[in-house]
Amino acid sequence: MMTSLGTGIATGYLIFVALGLIIATAILWSTKAGRRDKGVGVDIERAERAEPWWGVFVVVLLAILLGFTIWRAPWFTEDDSPRDVQVKVEGIQFGFLVQPTKVRTGQDVQFNVTSKDVNHAMALYNPQGQMIMNVMAIPGYTISRSYRFTEPGTYVIRCLEFCGYQHHKMIYPAFQVTA
Amino acid sequence: MTTTAVPPAPAGALPYDSEMPMALVQARTRRFVLRIIWTSTAFLVISGILGLLLRLRQAEVISLGDNFWYAVMTAHGIGAFIAWAGFFLMGISFWVLMKVGFPIRSFALPEVMYWTMVLGVIGIVLTTLLSGFAGSWVFLYPLPFFSAGQWSDTVTGVFSFSVLMAGVSILAYCAAILQTTISPALKAKKDTLGQRIGLTFGFGLLFPSRFKTGRGKEPYPVLPLAVNAVDMFLATLPFALLLVFNIIQSVNNGFSINVLLAGNLLWAFGHPVVYLLLFPAAATYYYLIPRYAGRELVAGKAVAVAWLIALTMNLFVWAHHLYMNYPDGENVQQTLGTIMQPTTYALVLPSALSLYSIAATIWRSNFQWNVASKFLVAGIISWLVAGLQGIINATAAFQETLHNTLWIVGHFHNMAFLNMGLLIFGAMYAFLPELMGKPWWNERLGSVHLWGTVIGAYGWVTCQMIQGLEGAPRRWAVLPEQYLTLTHISLGFLGLLVAAQLVFAYNLWTTLRKSPFDDPSAVSVRGGTQA
Repeated sequence: MMTSLGTGIATGYLIFVALGLIIATAILWSTKAGRRDKGVGVDIERAERAEPWWGVFVVVLLAILLGFTIWRAPWFTEDDSPRDVQVKVEGIQFGFLVQPTKVRTGQDVQFNVTSKDVNHAMALYNPQGQMIMNVMAIPGYTISRSYRFTEPGTYVIRCLEFCGYQHHKMIYPAFQVTA
Repeated sequence: MTTTAVPPAPAGALPYDSEMPMALVQARTRRFVLRIIWTSTAFLVISGILGLLLRLRQAEVISLGDNFWYAVMTAHGIGAFIAWAGFFLMGISFWVLMKVGFPIRSFALPEVMYWTMVLGVIGIVLTTLLSGFAGSWVFLYPLPFFSAGQWSDTVTGVFSFSVLMAGVSILAYCAAILQTTISPALKAKKDTLGQRIGLTFGFGLLFPSRFKTGRGKEPYPVLPLAVNAVDMFLATLPFALLLVFNIIQSVNNGFSINVLLAGNLLWAFGHPVVYLLLFPAAATYYYLIPRYAGRELVAGKAVAVAWLIALTMNLFVWAHHLYMNYPDGENVQQTLGTIMQPTTYALVLPSALSLYSIAATIWRSNFQWNVASKFLVAGIISWLVAGLQGIINATAAFQETLHNTLWIVGHFHNMAFLNMGLLIFGAMYAFLPELMGKPWWNERLGSVHLWGTVIGAYGWVTCQMIQGLEGAPRRWAVLPEQYLTLTHISLGFLGLLVAAQLVFAYNLWTTLRKSPFDDPSAVSVRGGTQA
């Protein structure tokens, strides 16, 4: 099951793909007319003049996307304000050391993620199996990421950065969130 | 009789096209390009089988040892991306240049390119499949030295040296392309180095009165190839440095480097290497689509500007692969991430304007539809689709949902296989008749190949992308059970894809066995006696 962000990404992507396919179909269909008039019924110079405007259109679209999204980059959305609980997560081939292992709903929880050996990543899955957090664990560094749990249950941590031959077994199966 | 061969240039439509009277150079280039086509196709067979094994294991259809699965994954990644697609497109670049009047000036560098790639790939195959190196194709430092007892540091050193050989191949390719393009073939009116460089990089299109050429207009396919050559030359150097560091550490355990620095050195190459495939693919589209449309590429100055943007920005986008590496207090990495989202977006322009040019070239043209041109058009549509995915991937705010999930795997197979791969097949259908001197045996089988490939591959990558959006982790030998249904569904599509490639292999095999040659001038390609 997708998260709301995942669903949003999929929806936006499908809309643009559909638009692109409609335009592509129209272009390919136009070759039927081109066959009839031997391809001479097109104003090439006009098409060339329009090209920079297409470029401008693309730049404007990208600028809008940039303006809406750059401030939501993960390093901008994490601040230094005090949290209710600090959870230390250390990755080590092939497991996670988690302390504490239990938090309550409604608490501001900050995960401080690091690694003892190679690069790992802490991906947190809620009881429905949705990935709600994805944080790199880099040896020698700590990345902090906060989350306020609203749903009690057993959460699963999986490693999402390839870390060796037991990578797929690097699972912490029971991070508890109580009401 | 086939209709896949590239049609002759319509009179006056393509002023830069060349009939290449230099028979000896042409024959030698044919032999060289054919050698690369056969070698890279052999690499495709190997890496394709390895890829199939990966998915069969994930679907729990077959059993593979854990480390062997990851070793197969490592070999498959490098094999499919560099040894097949990259190597093929490196080779076909020279044929495209030849066709637009830029013959290879010396075969020394192309031969270095060929043999270092072959030696490198052999080393990679041996160190992964036989010696168990399983660090993935990015072998993220310091993983190569934390094998958990699965391989030795010596194996890491040999693997790194093998990859370095492939890097030398890329460097030799870049040098050979620049040697071929910045050349007298430009027919610069004022034949100075500055004029040649300016013409090569599109200044003749932007400032025709200052950069004059006897060709009337410089060939568009030269632009992406020259840009790629400069960028890949510069981007390969930091990666080569990382490989040298790995080799040093493999013999001296006391040596180590900073993990973040290693990541930056890796991705300074690891993203631009995508363009090692995409830009030669763009050049091939620029050459072939006008031939099938029967008119010159519809392009103005904007395309030249876009390629200049690519030339510069391509070197400043790597940190989008490190968006998720934002350690507390490490402001440099966070700043790089902030800067490199817009620079990555800027790289959309060459693709967007190329797609515009190609679309305008096809629009209401008397387009010649055959297997080759259909493959090309399918590849172009995939360029658009995968490009849209690329914009999503370049957006830092989406990374917590997408990073290291199967969405990414679906995306790069969409780009590498369904854009560049379809272009490669299209180029084989288009160019092999003139390279081998004989037509394809059966064009109808080519259509079966096309539809089987498109439906099979899109079905498979779509499954992966949905799984990724649902949080399915990438590079897991055994996926969590919740993703098993889509993995099984994707196997059906993979089966169709494999069947389509078998049809292609049969068609190719039969074509190769057919004789006599239809074009006597091409006999020398096969080492015959006729001059």
